[in-house]
Amino acid sequence: MSATQSGGLPLPAPGTYSLDRIQSVPFSVVREGNETSPRLLSSYTTGKLTLLTFFYSHCTDPQGCPLAWAAFEKVRERIKADPELHNQVQLVFFSFDPQHDTPETLQLFADLYAADADVAPWYFITSWSNAFLEPTLRSFGQEISAQTDADGGERVVIDHLVKVFLIDRQGWVREIYTTAFLDPEVILGDIQTLLLEESKTNLGN
Amino acid sequence: MRTHPLTATIVAMIVTLASLSFSTQPAGADETCLSPYTTSLIKGQEKYLQVWTLGMKGVGDESDKLVTIDVDPESKTFGKVVNTVSVGGRGEAHHMGFTDDRKYIWAGRLDDSKIFIFDVGTDPSKPKLVNTISDFDKKTGYVGPHTFYALPGRMLVGALSNTKDHGGVTGLAVYNNAGEFLSAHPMPTTDGGDGYGYDIGINPRKNALLTSSFTGWNNYMMDFGTLVNDKEAMKNFGATMVMWNLKSLKPDTVFSVPGAPLEIRWSLNVAAGDDWAITASALTSQLWLIKRDENGKWQATDVAAIGDPSKIPLPVDISIAADGKSLWVNTFMDGKTRLFDISNPEKPVQVYEKKTGSQVNMVSQSWDGKRVYVTTSLLANWDKKGDDNEQFLKAFEWDGKDLVEKFEVDFLKEKLGRAHHMKFTGGKLSPTNYPTGTTDPAEASTSN
Repeated sequence: MSATQSGGLPLPAPGTYSLDRIQSVPFSVVREGNETSPRLLSSYTTGKLTLLTFFYSHCTDPQGCPLAWAAFEKVRERIKADPELHNQVQLVFFSFDPQHDTPETLQLFADLYAADADVAPWYFITSWSNAFLEPTLRSFGQEISAQTDADGGERVVIDHLVKVFLIDRQGWVREIYTTAFLDPEVILGDIQTLLLEESKTNLGN
Repeated sequence: MRTHPLTATIVAMIVTLASLSFSTQPAGADETCLSPYTTSLIKGQEKYLQVWTLGMKGVGDESDKLVTIDVDPESKTFGKVVNTVSVGGRGEAHHMGFTDDRKYIWAGRLDDSKIFIFDVGTDPSKPKLVNTISDFDKKTGYVGPHTFYALPGRMLVGALSNTKDHGGVTGLAVYNNAGEFLSAHPMPTTDGGDGYGYDIGINPRKNALLTSSFTGWNNYMMDFGTLVNDKEAMKNFGATMVMWNLKSLKPDTVFSVPGAPLEIRWSLNVAAGDDWAITASALTSQLWLIKRDENGKWQATDVAAIGDPSKIPLPVDISIAADGKSLWVNTFMDGKTRLFDISNPEKPVQVYEKKTGSQVNMVSQSWDGKRVYVTTSLLANWDKKGDDNEQFLKAFEWDGKDLVEKFEVDFLKEKLGRAHHMKFTGGKLSPTNYPTGTTDPAEASTSN
C-alpha cells in the first residue's frame, strides 16, 4: 500500500525533487548465470538505470528476498507497459550465497526473464567466494549474517535486511530502499525523476 | 556439492511473492526511539550503554568523551564503566545516533559543530573513534549538529543554529555513511515557519518526516540564569513543528507549537493502526499530539499538561513504550521522571512520578519496558550549580508500579563529566556484521 493510499503525504511528482549521489558503485568482479568468465560489476550498473539487490535463492522470509522479487516484478511490468521506459532500466539480482546459488540456478532464473530482455534485462549474478563478496557487501552497507539450522545444518539461513539500490547511468547510487519503504510506486517515481534529470542535463548541453 | 532443488525453490518463491503486500514492519526489539531504518537490532538484554559525556573543567581530563557502561546483569562488570574515549576539548557534546547498519554512532557537539564517528559494532565494549567531521558548519552553513537520524546508507542531521548570526534559523543536512556531505535542506521560514530546528521523527509508511524546534547558539550557549532574565533572548525559541514530505525532503505543513517542542516519538504500534506522534514543549510544559483529524489533515494539538506549567518544570526527554501505551517524561527543573498513560493519546494521564535526581534530562527504556535509564545534563551552561549539579547515569527496573534503582554511576566521582545522551549496544558484530560464532555464507555448507 502506498503512503498516499494509507493516508500519508502524497508522493511528489517525478522531477519535482532531486536524489542525492549517495555513493559510487564499488569495484567488484562477478559472474553471470552459467558463464564462467569474470566480469566487472560496473558492466551491470552503468549505461542504463539499474535496480540492484542482493539475494539468496533459499530465502523464504516474506520480508526478505521474496519481497524484493515481488517489487522487481511489479516495476518490470510497469516498464513493459510504458514504451518510454523500454531499454532504460536493467534489473540485477546479486546472490551473496554463491555456494548454493550455482551457475545452473542463476541461469534458470535468467531464462525465466529472457523473453523481455530487450525491454528490461534482468541479470542474475554472483561472485566466487567471501574474499570477493565481503568488500562488496561492506561497500554497499548490506548487512548479512549466516547460520545453519540448529537441527543439523541441512539448510543455510542468511539473515539480512533487504536493500534495493537505484543506480544512475554513471554508476552512482541515487536511492536505497529497505523493507520499510520498498514501494514500486516510489521506485518508479525515482526512475522517472532520474530520466527527467537526464533530459534536463541533455537540454542544457 | 549438493544439487539445488531448483524447481521447488522457484515455485516457492513465486507462490510467496504472489501473496506479498508492501506493508512495513516496525522495529521488533531494542530501545524504542531509534530511526525505523536501523538494523541489527538488539533482540533481548542490551549489553552496553554508550553515554555521550560533556567534559567539565576540573573533572578528570576535562574532555568530552564517549563513556561505555556494562549494563548486562550477568556480567562481572555490571554497572561499571568499562571504557572511555576522550575526543579532546569541550565543544558542548549533546546527542548521538546510529547509522542504519548500527555499526557506527555519530555524536555531535553544539558549540564547535564537530561530529565524531565511533565504531561501536566491532567491539561495543571498546568503541573506537574512526572519523571526525570538522567542517559541518562550512559545508552546510548550519551550526550545532543535534539530531542524527539514520536513513538507508545516509545520516540525516538536524541542526540548531547557523553561521550567519548564530540564531535559531537552521536546517537539515544529509551525509552518506562515509561522512561525506550530500545536501542541505533549510527549515521553512515562510507560511508560518520560524526556521528553527531540533529533533527528527520519520514515519516511512506515511511518507512523513516531522521536525521540532528549539533555539540557536546565542541562547543555548548562554548561562541559563542570564538567559531567563533576558526578555529579548527568551523570544528566540522555536514555536513550530514541520511536517515534511519525506520523499522530496520539502516542507509540507507548519504547525504552531509554542514553547520549544523537543523530542519527537512516533507510536511504534503499527499493528494497532497507530499513525500519530507525540512531543513535549519545554517552556510551556505540554504534551502535543500530531495526528490526522477526521478530514485526514495533520494537526498538532496540546493534549495534556506536564506537572504545573506555571512552575516551568522544563520537560526535556521523552521515551515511548513499544506498544505506544505509555510515555516516560523527564522534567529537568524538579528532577522528576514521570509516566503518562497515553493509551488514549488524545488524553494522556500521568500515572506515576519519582524524583530521580536534583536534575534529570535524558530517559531511555528497553523494548520490553522493564529497564529505564536516566542521565542528568541538559547543557553545560544550563545545568544547575553547586550540590544540585548531580551528574549520573541511573539504571532502574520498572516493575509496573515503581522505578527500582539497580545501579548508579556517579559521573563526578568517576571523573567523567556531565552525562548526556545514551545509546544501547548489544554484542559484537564482526566486520561484515556476521555475528560472532556463526559462519559466513561463502563458507557455510549445507552438507555435513
